This record gives sequence, structure tokens and C-alpha cells, in this order.
Amino acid sequence: MAECHPVGFQWVMEAKRRGATIIHVDPRFTRTSAVADIHVPIRAGSDIVFLGAIIRYIIEERRWFHDYVVHYTNAATIVTEEFQDTEDLDGLFSGWNPEKHKYAAEFWQYQDAHVTPAAGHREQESAETRAAHVTRIGAIQTDPTLEHPRCVFQILKRHFARYTPEMVEETCGIPRELFLKVAQTLCDNSGRERTSAFCYSVGWTQHSVGVQYIRTAAIIQQLLGNMGRPGGGIMALRGHASIQGSTDIPTLYDLLPGYLPMPRAAGSGTFQKYVEQNRSASAWWSEFPKYIVSLLKAYFGDHATRENDWCYDDLPRLTGDHSHMTTYAAMADGSVKGYFVMGENPVVGSVNGGFQRAAMRKLDWLVVRDFQMTETAEFWKTARNDASNWAITEKIGSEQINTEVFFFPAAAHTEKDGSFTNTQRLLQWHHKAIEPLGDCRSELHFIYHLGRRLKELYGSSEDPKDRPVRQLTWDYPVRGAIQEPEAEAVLREINGFSVADGKPVEDYTKLRDDGSTACGCWIYAGCYRNGVNQTARRKPAPEQNWVAPEWGWAWPQNRRLLYNRASADPEGRPWSERKRYVWWDEEKRSWTGYDQPDFIKDRPPSYRPPEDAQGIETISGIDPFLMNADGKSWIFVPTGLRDGPLPTHYEPIESLVKNPFYGQQSNPARMEWHRRENPYHRPWNDPAFPYLLTTYRLTEHHTAGGMSRWLSWLAELQPEMFCEVSPELAAEKGLTHGGWATITTARATIETRVLITARIKPLRIRGRLIHQIGLPYHWGSLGLVRGDSTNELIAFSGDPNVSIQETKALTGNIEPGRRIVRAGERPYA
Amino acid sequence: MPKGFFTDTTVCIGCKACEVACKQWNQLPEDGLHFSGMSYDNSIELGASTWRHVAFIERPVALSGQNAGDLSWLMLSDVCKHCRRAGCLEACPTGAIIRTEFDTVYVQPDICNGCGYCVVGCPFGVIDRLQSDGRAWKCTMCYDRQKDGMEPACAKACPTDSILFGEVSDLREKAAGRLAQLHERGVKEAYLYGADKHSQPGTEGLNAFFLLVDKPEIYNLPREPEAPSIRAKQSWLSLAVASAGMLAAAIGAVMSSRGRGAR
Amino acid sequence: MNDGRSIDLTVATLEGEAAQQIAPSREEIEPPPVSVAGGYYGRPYLKPPVWIWSIPTYFFVGGIAGSAMTMGWAAQMFGGREFRRFEQHCRWVGALGGCVGTALLIHDLGRKERFLFMLRVFRPTSAMSVGSWVLATATPLSAGSALLARADRPLRQLGDTAGAAAGLLGMPLAAYTAVLLANTAVPLWRESRRSLPLLFAASSMASMASLFELMSLSNREQAVVRRFGTIGRAGELAASLQLEREAGPAVKPLRQGAPGTLWNAASVLTASSLVVSLLPGKGRKKRILSGVLGLLGSACVRFAVFHAGKASARAASPEPELPRFPE
Ligand SMILES: Nc1nc2c(c(=O)[nH]1)N[C@H]1C(S)=C(S)[C@@H](COP(=O)(O)OP(=O)(O)OC[C@H]3O[C@@H](n4cnc5c(=O)[nH]c(N)nc54)[C@H](O)[C@@H]3O)O[C@H]1N2
Ligand SMILES: Nc1nc2c(c(=O)[nH]1)N[C@H]1C(S)=C(S)[C@@H](COP(=O)(O)OP(=O)(O)OC[C@H]3O[C@@H](n4cnc5c(=O)[nH]c(N)nc54)[C@H](O)[C@@H]3O)O[C@H]1N2
Ligand code: SF4
Ligand code: SF4
Ligand code: SF4
Ligand code: SF4
Ligand code: SF4
Ligand SMILES: [Mo]
Repeated sequence: MAECHPVGFQWVMEAKRRGATIIHVDPRFTRTSAVADIHVPIRAGSDIVFLGAIIRYIIEERRWFHDYVVHYTNAATIVTEEFQDTEDLDGLFSGWNPEKHKYAAEFWQYQDAHVTPAAGHREQESAETRAAHVTRIGAIQTDPTLEHPRCVFQILKRHFARYTPEMVEETCGIPRELFLKVAQTLCDNSGRERTSAFCYSVGWTQHSVGVQYIRTAAIIQQLLGNMGRPGGGIMALRGHASIQGSTDIPTLYDLLPGYLPMPRAAGSGTFQKYVEQNRSASAWWSEFPKYIVSLLKAYFGDHATRENDWCYDDLPRLTGDHSHMTTYAAMADGSVKGYFVMGENPVVGSVNGGFQRAAMRKLDWLVVRDFQMTETAEFWKTARNDASNWAITEKIGSEQINTEVFFFPAAAHTEKDGSFTNTQRLLQWHHKAIEPLGDCRSELHFIYHLGRRLKELYGSSEDPKDRPVRQLTWDYPVRGAIQEPEAEAVLREINGFSVADGKPVEDYTKLRDDGSTACGCWIYAGCYRNGVNQTARRKPAPEQNWVAPEWGWAWPQNRRLLYNRASADPEGRPWSERKRYVWWDEEKRSWTGYDQPDFIKDRPPSYRPPEDAQGIETISGIDPFLMNADGKSWIFVPTGLRDGPLPTHYEPIESLVKNPFYGQQSNPARMEWHRRENPYHRPWNDPAFPYLLTTYRLTEHHTAGGMSRWLSWLAELQPEMFCEVSPELAAEKGLTHGGWATITTARATIETRVLITARIKPLRIRGRLIHQIGLPYHWGSLGLVRGDSTNELIAFSGDPNVSIQETKALTGNIEPGRRIVRAGERPYA
Repeated sequence: MPKGFFTDTTVCIGCKACEVACKQWNQLPEDGLHFSGMSYDNSIELGASTWRHVAFIERPVALSGQNAGDLSWLMLSDVCKHCRRAGCLEACPTGAIIRTEFDTVYVQPDICNGCGYCVVGCPFGVIDRLQSDGRAWKCTMCYDRQKDGMEPACAKACPTDSILFGEVSDLREKAAGRLAQLHERGVKEAYLYGADKHSQPGTEGLNAFFLLVDKPEIYNLPREPEAPSIRAKQSWLSLAVASAGMLAAAIGAVMSSRGRGAR
Repeated sequence: MNDGRSIDLTVATLEGEAAQQIAPSREEIEPPPVSVAGGYYGRPYLKPPVWIWSIPTYFFVGGIAGSAMTMGWAAQMFGGREFRRFEQHCRWVGALGGCVGTALLIHDLGRKERFLFMLRVFRPTSAMSVGSWVLATATPLSAGSALLARADRPLRQLGDTAGAAAGLLGMPLAAYTAVLLANTAVPLWRESRRSLPLLFAASSMASMASLFELMSLSNREQAVVRRFGTIGRAGELAASLQLEREAGPAVKPLRQGAPGTLWNAASVLTASSLVVSLLPGKGRKKRILSGVLGLLGSACVRFAVFHAGKASARAASPEPELPRFPE
């Protein structure tokens, strides 16, 4: 975190000054470890074992927060008989379909009650089983004693029974004592009086089981009662500035703003069907129709009427997976003709660079918007690197590439108004400092004027396929010589307004499904409350309470801590004075506290839904997690995930060791691309690729380098691509400090400088010494400082839930000396 | 009132924001794009174009109170110390180096004639002469910013407040408090470097002082820095003696050979 | 255009403190061994002197000038008529040396056009400041005294006063450069701060004498020069022994490499010039020989000390075997 979120890390250091214990789990000893109290060196790709063992420790040592667990999680819920655990099926859960390489989700549902996921893959449930959704929430059966063999708690206990400290030592290379110290420290710092927080980022996510890493941490936090309480939680440290914003108002192919799923060609044909699939019978997602209708009103304005299903049919439909790697594979096969790259440098930043460039050569046209001519904009120049990819043998000179590249210089954040949404869901407005130079333009400008021109183009078209473009509302006021659209006008639309008088809505509870409101993103409703840009507020900390509600604006409803109903006990009293945050005020008959209560304001703790309750009436007074169909937080995920209801240790796709737990080596539902340019390395104990590679960032650079390798003040701080190796490995391979090394995987070969450091330690895994090699991935063939790109080495692969690539653990080899420069390759100049 | 820095190395995360902020504010040029192999330090040392320098020290010993095996990684953001008794200033024959109203040591670029005497006058090897323009350069403690009531760029940028800027007296208090806290938490190695005249007579204390956890040499800081002028007397004295001898010799030589060979 | 700043001048203005700096590129360093015992990757904690050859040359020339002025004054006071010519020689050598010396100093300045700033202030703590003033006053005084020598009475007296002043200043001029070196952080110079002025003073006497030995002199003048030179040369040899003792461990750089060779050469040259000068006989050749040897000797002394100083600054990396701090 110190490496990649130094500014956010100031609060960690502040906490440390005040006596907090900082634990850092990382294969390498990093700048974070340097200031942590405890550093836990772990084998890359084995965290679920480590975290699972903590779960087992909590259960075995009876350290869980009982009242919290029983009332606020689904620990007591009874699961269907159809469920079978990985313990029973040697690494598979029930419902596995070996032909389709998929799970059928019904096998993990609750007993007698099918619930809809709050997030994730709702379409998993076939429309048929959906019919059953109307089942009353009351049908859910629980056993508060947590004794029932099929209650979540007992299932959890059995599932992690073999995740022992011994296995941690064997599998992760973490000494038993160290593990116990961590588990104990964590438990001692949780409960009524104290809370602990987890911070993670891509060291956890970029694995073929990425999502399940986070799930494991979530289970720990639920057992310890660390969710929805001050000082607790799981902090996803995000990536680019406002990357959070770009999932809320998504650049993701399968989402509409506010985590409303994108309609699918198959299944969600009509509006009714779409709504039925995505609305929950109970809890908050029962409000789904209000949000989608308001969104459609924002998109299509007066064109959207009840009669035409609010122009639902104007929305495009998903025909399948259109994630980054899938799209590039299709590109390589020639079925993608044109491509927009805005604020991305995939040739360096995305895996298997050689393959990516090969794919781009098949494009007719490519649009790149960036600050400078990145390796992607000039991919045709960097053909030299392609020689590093074994499979891509063709020698390509630029004259053989027919792709037409359009480069648009981008305006930086200093040159445009807009908002950043950070890790904490906090929107902060930034004002333009100067006019963009020359032809530089903001994304807003580019997209708006592109849309405007398209509308002009199709304005008079009768063709029904052009209807969406014609009906789209596209009326943002523009300002100044360059006709820059007003960013605040967009924010106003995102906030939502009543169609009748255009007044901004106060928050999402004011949205309607009758077309009387329009809203660009329901969770953002309120960011422009009372016609004031709430995100631009900058009231100093001393002038407000410690939650600082008047700095910027946080979604939803300016709430700084989600699920904060859980900071009070079932009766609505704070768990402890020390951890007082949100509570029930009996006189006022309302929830109150330092923050916006995350609950229905006037719903008393004593409220229990009647038998026939519908929609949000089903949320009882002790249901803090009201986005979930049963109002509880999910230790066991009955639906929504593609690789199982509980986290399970699977080895990385490329691993040096056999899965010590199950016959199933890797995540069965993982995504792979089997093609010539993308070979995988399977067998463990293979002398060809005997080392474990892991990749990461350096504070001094930013991702693919577009913002750092071209800047002298940053470039000089880490001027050359290097690898980090242990003195032991260096001795074994005869690597010299400051010299060169060649690194090879099943895909490619790159060369790097060598940094020998004791910060990288070989780990003893089941008697065998495992060497890890650290590789930053910031370098490319252009810019002030140049070097081979780590991503040449890495394969296309994906986690089944979010199709994120596995960059954190793979196998390779290292040899002293420089890469042989093959004929036709340009050396860096 | 004297202004200065208290740099607490125990909270430094080596992010180099201070280095970059300094270069950006002062518009200093990049000065080398080479891989040094010195841990994560590619700036190597303070110089004419590098006024902040973050040192990275990988030690085969754990910091007490830290559970990280037999390893620790120390980071220190080094800078001109703005010595109370500044060797560079005392050496400067042109008066280019002055003590500002903030009690900081500032080189006036329009006066410096590049005689280079300050370079050898600094016991910390901070100030250096730039080949290209022949002048001596070093940290100004953001004299320009301070005149506008702003804190120095490096301190401003430091996310963890490893660099604290303020009145030296306050800083000393803060430092003492922090030191006590660390000791009580078992970080017994911690100590202050150059905090005052008593602990560092040679410089009469540094306006930019540090909290360290290992011997100064580890951070490339001299153990007992001394403004050269402190021992100046001895050399002037022997110059006097020498002069006397010289005069005597001259007179003697003349006298003894007078009137000889007159015949 | 990359000037090492990546600043777009169409929007930014170069107004920063160092905006005018021109990017120098640090040379690539040999990556240090993975773990360096003590110290910081064996890097020096000092900056080596930036001075070039003209500085030690100035030490040498300035030395000659200083001694000459003093000798001139001695002759003026006690020499009487017969030493008038000699006295004038001294004054001229002093004046000339002062001028050459000044030129040499200016040559080393980073900003030559600003050489006058040397007299912008007087700073007692700075040997260089003091020295600049000495040089700047002694030189014209010496020249003045020489010029006025042929004038008639009142003016000549003025000249003599000037000569006396120059003579007085000649002594510090001859050896203040040693103090200048001693008052730095450079270990060798610093540690030899007592003997260094003695060495430079003696050496300047020796060199002055040596120079005069090359001129055609009357017997008496020869005698003066020989005696003066003998004391100088003997003193120089004694002082260098004393310096080696005083410097302690810091003497290392003076014992090895080029500086070491220069240092040893200096002793040999000076010693032999001393011997030659003391050999019986009045032959011109003999005087020239000892003169040349002497000049070379004291030049070597200055260059040896100068370069050894640079080396000692570069080697100023803390000793590994220091106890853990604080004890
Ligand atoms: N300075 C800087 N800051 C950045 C960025 C940057 O490029 N530079 N990028 C931004 C972006 S886009 C993102 S996504 C974030 C990413 O922020 P981080 O996730 O912190 O970045 P990484 O360095 O990729 O990975 C973090 C650590 O994960 C460790 N790691 C690798 N494999 C494993 C594993 O299996 N288990 C565990 N426990 N750790 C493992 C690596 O050693 C590394 O130290 O940073 C953001 N901030
Ligand atoms: N091996 C390995 N690979 C990884 C990772 C890893 O940990 N290991 N991390 C992955 C992660 S988390 C990420 S996020 C990716 C990042 O990979 P990329 O996103 O491809 O790389 P960036 O350099 O962040 O690309 C951002 C580009 O946007 C430009 N830019 C900045 N601001 C603007 C703007 O306002 N408008 C426009 N149009 N352009 C702008 C920048 O100049 C830069 O070139 O890398 C991924 N790849
Ligand atoms: S780069 Fe920006 S986002 Fe990243 S830590 Fe610094 S300030 Fe925060
Ligand atoms: S550290 Fe050196 S440069 Fe800075 S004030 Fe002290 S003597 Fe001068
Ligand atoms: S170089 Fe400049 S600053 Fe340094 S002493 Fe000489 S004149 Fe003063
Ligand atoms: S005070 Fe100013 S000049 Fe000195 S290091 Fe900090 S930023 Fe640079
Ligand atoms: S900015 Fe602060 S934390 Fe970062 S390197 Fe400099 S001193 Fe250390
Ligand atoms: Mo990211």
C-alpha cells in the first residue's frame, strides 16, 4: 500500500503512530513491509490457504463475534440438500458440468428459498428457477444455535477443517508461529471494543481465483464482526484515479450505471423478462424497476414511455463475453475491425503484449486517445518485441501493417472539470486549471461531439436500427471556443431529476418506476442535491464532525460507511461506547449517528416482516445488509458466483506445486484461451520453468508508464527495467548484481537488469525450496527510459467471475546475460 | 524565528514525493538515467541538481519492535542541514551565502562567482558546483515559498509527515516526544541526530535534524560533523609563526651578508 | 526538446530557483556489492574539491610572490644602498607574481566575470576572503613601491612605505593558502592544519630563492638568496615530515597513487636542490641546477597536497568497523 497508495497510506502511518498494529502479507519485503509491525512472506498464489486457516483458527478457538454472526450473517441459514462441498467432491462443488465447464447455481441455494444476488452474475439463474423467486423471504430456514449440519456455519467449519497452521507452513511457506501470531493479533483486535480492517489490491485480485481471495477475507471480517463498523471493513485500494467511478458508471461491458446488469441477447429479451431476472423478490433490489426506468428516462427522455417499455429495446444486448482479452482474441481472428483505446496502453499494460500487437495488426482502424504516442499508439513500431514471443514468428515491418491509427491528444485532469470517485466511494470535484493546449480535448468533449455528429448523421434516417441514436437525449450545454460540454450538466443528469420540473432528486428513495423521474446513476442520486454540486464541498475537518460528511460527497446518500446499521447491536444500541457510530434513537423513533444511517430511517430494531411482506417491507429491524435478498451478509454465497459458494484453494494456472488439498489442481471454472500465441505451462517440477514469477508496481512509475516514463522527474527515479532476486537464487544461477538477466516463460523472453536483494526470500514449500522472482511491469519500448515489458511474458487467462488476468503468479526461468537480439530487431535507442 | 525540518525516518516510506516535489518546484533538471543497483536509490547523492535525496538501506538486522525476520529497510530523505554554524556560509568569500530571516542558509545565485570554497566547507558534502553554469547550488529551504508564508515543497508533499517543517523549537519538542514514544515502544535504537548544539557541537545543531535508528555512517552522515572554522585558530596561529620565521630568515639573510666582499 | 525537465514552455514559465540550470548527466556508476559493510554503498560523504590545476599553480606562484615581497622589505630595511637592485627585483617579482596569481585564480572561477565579487565583502571566517584581500592589496603595493623607486624623495618614501606594507602582507600571502586548505572538511588538509602553513611558508621561501638563483646576482645577493633558500628548503623538508606525522590516518592518499609520487618527488627534488646549493663553488650552472630542482620541488609539494586532498575527500567514506551507534 505504501508503494502504490502512498497518499492514502498516510492514514495507516497515522494509525501506527497511535499504536495500531500493521501486518503486511506479501511475497516480497516492500516499502510497506519496511514500516509494518509484522511482515508475512507468502508464496504468491496461496493466500486462500493462509486466510482459510485464519477462519479455521477463529472457529476452533471460538473467537467469532457470536451475536454479530448469528444476527447479521447467514451463518445460521440452512442450505439445500443438493449442496455438496469440495471436501466431498475432491475440489469441486455440486452442480459442476464438465462439458460446459460451468456450475449450475441451483445446487448452492438456500433450503426452500431461492435468492437473487446483490451483485455478480444474476443471469446464472435460468428464467425458470426465477419463477420460484416469488417465494416469501420467510421461507428461509435458520438455526440460531448454529448446530444444524446443513447450516452455513457447520458447512464452513467442515470446508476449512483441513486449512491448518501446518498446511499454511507447507503451502504458503509461512512459519507456524508467525501464522499464529497474525491470527491471534487479528482476533485480539476484534470484537465489541475493537475492530480490524483489511486493505487489498491487485496482489489479491489478479489470480484465477481472485474474487475468492476477497471472499475469504470477507468471511473473516463477518466472523469477527468487522463489517459495517468504524475501523473495520475490507478496503479495495483501487487503481487509476476514479477507477471506482468507472465501475459505478461503468466502462465495464456487462454493466449499466449503478450496477444494473447489461441486457443479454439470450434470456433477457423483453423488458418484463429483464426486470424479472434482475429484481429481487425481497430486500433492496426489489427497487430495481425504479432505477432502470429512471435510467432509461435519462437516456431517451420523452421517447421513453411505458408503452414502448421505456425504450428498453434501444439498449444494445450482450451476445456473450466482451471483456478485454476475449475482444483481443476476436481481433486476432479478424472479427474486430475498429477499436477505441482511451486512457489505456494495452501493448505494455495488458498481458501477452506480443499477441496483443499481432491482434491489432488485423484492425482496419485504431483510435488512441492519450497524452503521448504510447507503445499502443505506435504498436506498429514496436514489432521488434514481437520476436520475444515464441509463437509469433512472423517478422513484421510497418509497411506490412494496414491498420490506420488515429491519435487524439488528451486533455489532462488539470485541463478539465470533473469528479474523481475514490476507493471510499467519495466523489471529489476538480476544476479546470487551464484550457487544454492545442488539439488536446477531454473525453467528455470527444464523446459528446462524436455522439452529436452521429445524431446529425442519422437524424433523418428511417432505418429502425438507427432509432436508438435518434432517440438518445444528447443535449449538454457547451462552453467556450472549443465547445467544451459542461461537466456539471452531466453530473446533474447523473444525480437525476423529476421529469415534470427538472428539479434534482434528493436521493434514490425519490426515484419512481412510472417515468416521473430520470436518473443517470441511481447510487449517485443526491450528488447534486438542491441544485448544488455536493461533490465540490471542501469544508475543513476541524469545522465538522470526525466523519467529515461535508467534504465531497459519498454514494449512496453521502454515506461514508456502508452497512453501518451493523455498528449497533440487534436492539439498536452501539456495541460499545468506543465503537459508537450509528444507533436507534427511541424518543425520535429514528436511526441516528455520526454518519448517514444505512437503514430505513424509521424502521425500529424490533420490526419483523409479516408473513406476506413484499419488497423492502421484507427487511427486518436486524437486517443491516439490506442489499442482500435476506438482509444478512453472506458467509456462504448461495448464488452469483461462478466458481463456488465458498473460497477454495486452487493453485495458479501455472504453478510449481501440486494442489495439496484436492485432486482439482486449479480453479475449474477459470478462463483460458487455447491458441498458438498463448501457450500455458502445466506440469509442476518442470526443469524448463523452475521459478515462480510475480509482477507488481513501483511507486516511481505508473502502470504502463504513459504517465511516468515520459516524465524526466519520475523516469530518473527508476530508470531501467529490473528483476528482484534473492542472493540464494543469484548464487544458484550466477546472476551478477547490476548485470543483465534473461527471463523466459512459455510465451516469451525478456531481458532485465538484476537487483539482488535479501528482501526476496526463497520459501520452503513441502521440503522444496521455491525461488520467487519479482518483476515490475512499467517498461516499454518508447519514452525517456525504455526496457522490455514484463507483460510479454504473461498468458491470457481469467478469473471466471470478473475475467481478470492472472499476473501475480506464473512460472518461468532466469538465466544470466542479455536477450539474444534476433535479426530484424531494433535495439532500444 | 528559526525554521527547519524534523525528519523522522521511522515513518518514511521512501516514496520520493519529496525529491519530485523539490525538482518540480525549483524546476531542477533530471540528472542521470542510470540504474545504480543501490537498492531503490537511483539518485545516489545530494548535488547541484538534486537537493533532496532519499537513501535506501537494506540491513541484515531487524528493527526492534518489528517482526520481519532478520531484515529491515531504512529510508531517509536527506537534505541540506541548514547548520546553525554553516561551513559553507563561513567559507563563502563573496557573501553569496547568507543566513535568511528564517535562519536558513541560502545561496544567492546572482552573487555566487563559483569559487568552489563552500563545496569543501560543507562537512556533509551537500553543496556542489554545477559544471554547466559554474555556480554552487543546494536546498534553499524553499526561501521563495517561505517568503510567501508557504511551507517547503518537499514537506508539503510528504504523505506520512516524515518531513515536518516548522519552528525549530517546536520541532525539537515534537522530536523529543516522538523519541520517547519510540523508546517506550521498544525501538531503543532510535536517537536524534543534530537536534541541538549539545549533541552536535561541531555545527552548533542543525535546523534540519533527523531521527535515526542506526549509526549515522549507515545513512552516509558524518559521525561528528564540524564547521571547519572551528579549528581555524590553530592554522592561523601556525601561519603567524611561519611568517615570523620567514621575516627573521629574510632579515637574517640580508644582515649576515651585508658589507661582505666590500674590499 | 528534453532539457531534463519535461516542462512545456507553451504553458509553463521557467521561474523556479534552478530554472536556468543546464542538465548535466551523472555518469553511470559501477553497481556496488550487494551488502556494503558500514557506510552507504561505499559512497563518500564529502564532495571533492572542484578546483583545477590553476589553484595549486597559484599556491606556488603566490608563494614566490609573498616571499619576494617580504625579502624585498628586509632588503629595504637592512640592505642599504648595495641592495637597492635586489630590493627592486623582489618588488617586481612580488608584483608580477601577484598579477599572475590573480589571473590563475580567475581562471578557476565558475563565473570569471564576477571575480571582483571576491572583494564584495570581507569575511574573517573565510581564509579565501582574507587571502583575496591580502593578494589584492599586496600586489599593487609591491608594484607601486617598485615604480616609485626611481622617483624623487617624497614619492620614493611613499614607495618605501608601500614596500614595507607589501613586505608585511607578503608573509600571509606566501602561506595563507595553507590555512585556506586547512579550514575545509577535507580530512587530509584538516588533520594537517598545524604543519601545512609551515610547509607552505617554507616551500614559498625555497621557491622564491630558487627563482632568484636563476637570475644573475652579485655575490652578496647570491649569499642572501642561498641562506634564505637553505632555511626554506630545510624547513620544507622538516615540515613535510611533520605533516605526515600530524595527519595521522588521513595521510594515506599522500602515500599512494599520483599524489604519493608527487609527494616523494618533492622531497627528493628539494633535498637535492638543498645539497647542490650547499656544494662549494660559485658556478652559475650549479646555481641554475639547484634553482630548477628547488622550483620543481616546491611545485610538487603544492600539487601533491592538492591532489591528495581531492583523493582524501573521495575516500571520505566511514570506516566499517565503527561500533553500533549510539553506544
Ligand atoms: N505508484 C503507483 N501507484 C499505483 C499504480 C502504479 O502503477 N504506480 N497503479 C495503480 C493501480 S492501476 C492499481 S490496480 C493499484 C495496485 O496496487 P497494488 O495491488 O498494491 O499493486 P501491485 O504492486 O501490483 O501488487 C501489490 C503487491 O502484491 C504482491 N503480491 C503478488 N502476488 C501476491 C499474492 O499472491 N499474494 C499476496 N498477498 N501478495 C501478492 C506484490 O509483491 C506486490 O507487492 O495501484 C495503483 N497505484
Ligand atoms: N503484469 C502485470 N500486468 C498488469 C498489472 C499487474 O499488476 N501486473 N496490473 C493491471 C492493472 S491493475 C491495470 S489498471 C493495468 C493498467 O494498464 P493500462 O491502463 O493499459 O496502463 P496505463 O499506463 O495506466 O494507461 C493509462 C493511459 O492513459 C493515459 N491518460 C491519463 N489520463 C488520461 C486522460 O485523462 N485521458 C486520456 N485519454 N488518457 C489519459 C496515460 O497517459 C496512460 O498512457 O495494467 C494491468 N496489467
Ligand atoms: S498518485 Fe495520486 S492517487 Fe496515487 S497516491 Fe499519489 S495522489 Fe494518490
Ligand atoms: S549542510 Fe552543508 S551546505 Fe547545508 S548549511 Fe550546512 S554546511 Fe551549508
Ligand atoms: S562558490 Fe559561490 S557560494 Fe560557494 S563559496 Fe564561492 S561564491 Fe560562495
Ligand atoms: S526545502 Fe525546498 S529546496 Fe529544499 S529540499 Fe525541500 S523542496 Fe527542495
Ligand atoms: S516524501 Fe516523505 S515519505 Fe516519501 S520519501 Fe520523502 S520523506 Fe519519505
Ligand atoms: Mo489497476
